[in-house]
Amino acid sequence: MNAKKRKQRATEFIEQRTGRAFLAPTVIILLALTLFPFLLTIILSFSRITFADGVQIHFAGLANWSRLFADARLWNALSNTLILVVFGVSVQFLIGLWLALLVNRKIKGQSFFKVLFLLPMLLAPITVGYMGRMMFSYVRGPINDIFHLVGLGRIEWLISGDVALLTILLADIWQWTPLMFLMLFVGLQAIPKEFEEAANIDGAVGWQLFRHITLPLLAPVAIAAILFRTVEAFKIVDIIFIMTGGGPGLSTESMTLFAYISGLRTFDISYGSAISFTLFIPVLLSIGVFLAMTRRYRTVTFE
Amino acid sequence: MVKKTMLSSNAATYGMLLLWALIVLFPFYWLVTTSFKEIGDVFRGPKYLPWVDFTPTTKWWYRMWVVEGRMLFRPLVNSLVIATSSSLFAVTFGSMAAYALERFRFKFGPMKNRDIFLWIVSQRVMPPIIIALALFVMFHFAGLLDTQLALIFVYIAAHTPIAVWMMSNFISQLPISIEEAALVDGASRTQAFFRVVLPMIAPGIAATFLLCFIFAWNEFLFALMLTGGEAQTMPLLIAAQHFQRGPQWWDISVLALITIIPVVILVVSLQRYFVKGLIPIGK
Repeated sequence: MNAKKRKQRATEFIEQRTGRAFLAPTVIILLALTLFPFLLTIILSFSRITFADGVQIHFAGLANWSRLFADARLWNALSNTLILVVFGVSVQFLIGLWLALLVNRKIKGQSFFKVLFLLPMLLAPITVGYMGRMMFSYVRGPINDIFHLVGLGRIEWLISGDVALLTILLADIWQWTPLMFLMLFVGLQAIPKEFEEAANIDGAVGWQLFRHITLPLLAPVAIAAILFRTVEAFKIVDIIFIMTGGGPGLSTESMTLFAYISGLRTFDISYGSAISFTLFIPVLLSIGVFLAMTRRYRTVTFE
Repeated sequence: MVKKTMLSSNAATYGMLLLWALIVLFPFYWLVTTSFKEIGDVFRGPKYLPWVDFTPTTKWWYRMWVVEGRMLFRPLVNSLVIATSSSLFAVTFGSMAAYALERFRFKFGPMKNRDIFLWIVSQRVMPPIIIALALFVMFHFAGLLDTQLALIFVYIAAHTPIAVWMMSNFISQLPISIEEAALVDGASRTQAFFRVVLPMIAPGIAATFLLCFIFAWNEFLFALMLTGGEAQTMPLLIAAQHFQRGPQWWDISVLALITIIPVVILVVSLQRYFVKGLIPIGK
């Protein structure tokens, strides 16, 4: 009896060790390459770093932070980023939902449209940036050419500081609507057909059916999709880097681009660290606000 | 009457679908045609139809592969090596961690399984720029700047959380009895995992690998900040074109298409796992 117990305990010990060994690679790499650099960023933002003779890091107190909050460029980059997140994600959601509902109908060529609509999100964002530059070129771009032909005139898509942010937004919508479409389409497919059939028998049609049956059932997937895209949208930089480089002036500079330019182009790494850390605040705030707003819907149960 | 409204609503559906299809396809069409245009046809453009308003040429494709092959070769190999190896590691580590969290009970201080899972997955929430400058400083000290290894490390860290999230969806749906049978037959946990569990979730592995590969293949910001000439990847080569040689749209288009091709091949060949595996239904 005693021997059996001891053997069992030994097996449990080995099991526990195996479990830890399975978890270890992931935890170690995340500690070393995510958590540690994250803490280092905070330290760097309170320091001054020079590369003159060897790397030297000096404590600089709040110097970077007081400089940052007095910098008009911060508020510009922050508002550009927020505009891109709010309008980008809303439009992507609306078009994505619309497409998902269309493809979800019993149509011929369903799988053709499904694969076709996914294509843009497979591209590198910098490729999308170059496509945008060609499409929206003032003289040689097909879009202005067609606008001109139908009498809308030529628009300074990338040249005017008033329009350039909208142009970036259009390119971003083109690339990321597919992801919304994909998630919502899979969500729609998962809704049991009986719900809609039952509602149909009860006389619900069209908008009523959508409003009272489909939408509530889709809500958990929709919330996940919006949250996921929101978090990703805050990271925007590649498309801007290629299409406008943040210009004209600073009219399209995002937070990530601002931090990159300050950190590695003017080589002020500690200032760049302060900027990049600041980006975390709106990300966390928006997640919190969003989750609080949608608490009601996330607990929806099938009854 | 009913039939008539159904017909017109069908026509409207197809009309809207075709409109979006046009919006999706036209930029691709522009990219492909530009790669076959003469310089003059680009700058006197826009030109729309080959053999109608411009005569296509294959010389840019020829030049990129044959004449400029040396310029293209290194970034292409770098991208293939970095994306493939980092995705393999991310999927392996990710499925091991997902399996451990699904089958063992952990307690590190106040953190239990659910907390560990959330901690891992939430790493994806942080914008990469927050750690990119610190990684630059770290790799500077480690002498890893501008090496393939630096990007491989960073991409493993960036994509393992995705792998954990996806693989735990798949593993949680597996019946526990099959592994238990293997364990009773004398297999060790490690053997049971690699020989019994992994083969059963092969579609999930394919989907996860594909997703990690695409993310790594297209990644730009870390590559921009952590590499230079030696470990340059394809996105970086494309981005550098405009700054080094001006708007040579024909060359840029050829490079962009070369970069798209491996992804399209992977997606088409793994397509049936992709959509199914991306968002497992039923959880």
